[in-house]
Amino acid sequence: MNCFEARQEFPALWRKTATPERSAEVYSHLKGCAKCDHAFRVFALSAPVLHSAVEPERNAAEFRRRVAYRAQRGLSVTRPAREPRRLLAMCAGMMVLFAASTAAYLSVAAPIGSYTDEITNSDSGYEFPVDTAPTSNDFAG
Amino acid sequence: MLGLAASRKIAWSLTAKPDEELIAEVLGGDSAAFNELSSRHRPRVERLCQRFFSDPEIARDLAQEGFIRAYTALRTYRAEMPFGGWLRSIVINLCYDELRRRKRRPEELVGDFGAPEVQWMHLVNEASPENIVGDAEERQEAHDLAHRLLDTLRPEDRMVMVLKESEEMSVAEIASILGWSEAKVKIRAFRARQALRKQAERMLAVGRRR
Ligand SMILES: [Zn+2]
Repeated sequence: MNCFEARQEFPALWRKTATPERSAEVYSHLKGCAKCDHAFRVFALSAPVLHSAVEPERNAAEFRRRVAYRAQRGLSVTRPAREPRRLLAMCAGMMVLFAASTAAYLSVAAPIGSYTDEITNSDSGYEFPVDTAPTSNDFAG
Repeated sequence: MLGLAASRKIAWSLTAKPDEELIAEVLGGDSAAFNELSSRHRPRVERLCQRFFSDPEIARDLAQEGFIRAYTALRTYRAEMPFGGWLRSIVINLCYDELRRRKRRPEELVGDFGAPEVQWMHLVNEASPENIVGDAEERQEAHDLAHRLLDTLRPEDRMVMVLKESEEMSVAEIASILGWSEAKVKIRAFRARQALRKQAERMLAVGRRR
């Protein structure tokens, strides 16, 4: 079994629809291939939602209580990305405040994008593949 | 005794009826036949909604709304397409509208994870793949983290990710249901995969640190 074949089997492995022999082959490949092993771990983080047949029974009231608790403690599950307008205002403010003192610095320092910039613009310049086949292929280490 | 056997027989004959027959009965005025149609398709529809929304109430409401819309639009249903596929396209568009309504831009993955979530990330880093697969199902935090990961995607990227990966739909099918070009589906799928992988790598790094 090669790397491509092994990764193709990740969803079936997760859904437990692969035959025992096939599963054993994949697990054996993962033991000997660090790249596919890592790709499997990346895959495993989104698989509970993308590939599990069922989700554990959630109690709606309990879910809301936990969300409220997280929000109270500042442990929000996710929070909205900064609005572009606020980001612009912040940048403008910084420019006004530090224009004189940073002009020289900025002329030599390399620009550093925010994390959001990185995830949204990381693909620019990349040639899109003709086929956008299953994700597991792309979880290469 | 005879009554029970008879009711079982009736129940069996109802479940054995093809969707098209039930639809004809609904259109003929027997609205009870729609109950049978909905209970037949409900598990799949609810699971689809759960892949978009971690809040069980939202997922249930959307599934319910999907059935209501299907009921009211039943006269427009054409048998060339299986009823399940027609219903699914209604629910997909409902979920997409709701995703866009709730979140117009992607969300940052906040690094403040709870103890069970960190434990899960640690396990994903350290355990054998067999144990990861075995443990994930019963762990609520595995599902919570996966939702957090998917919440970082733009609504259109999440749509494509779920439809391709979970529903195993083709690019052409997705394009047709969402009214997009196939090129747009491919681009969104590509970007979604890249973004998701990046965020997952970040989560794995958190699991390694703790
Ligand atoms: Zn490999």
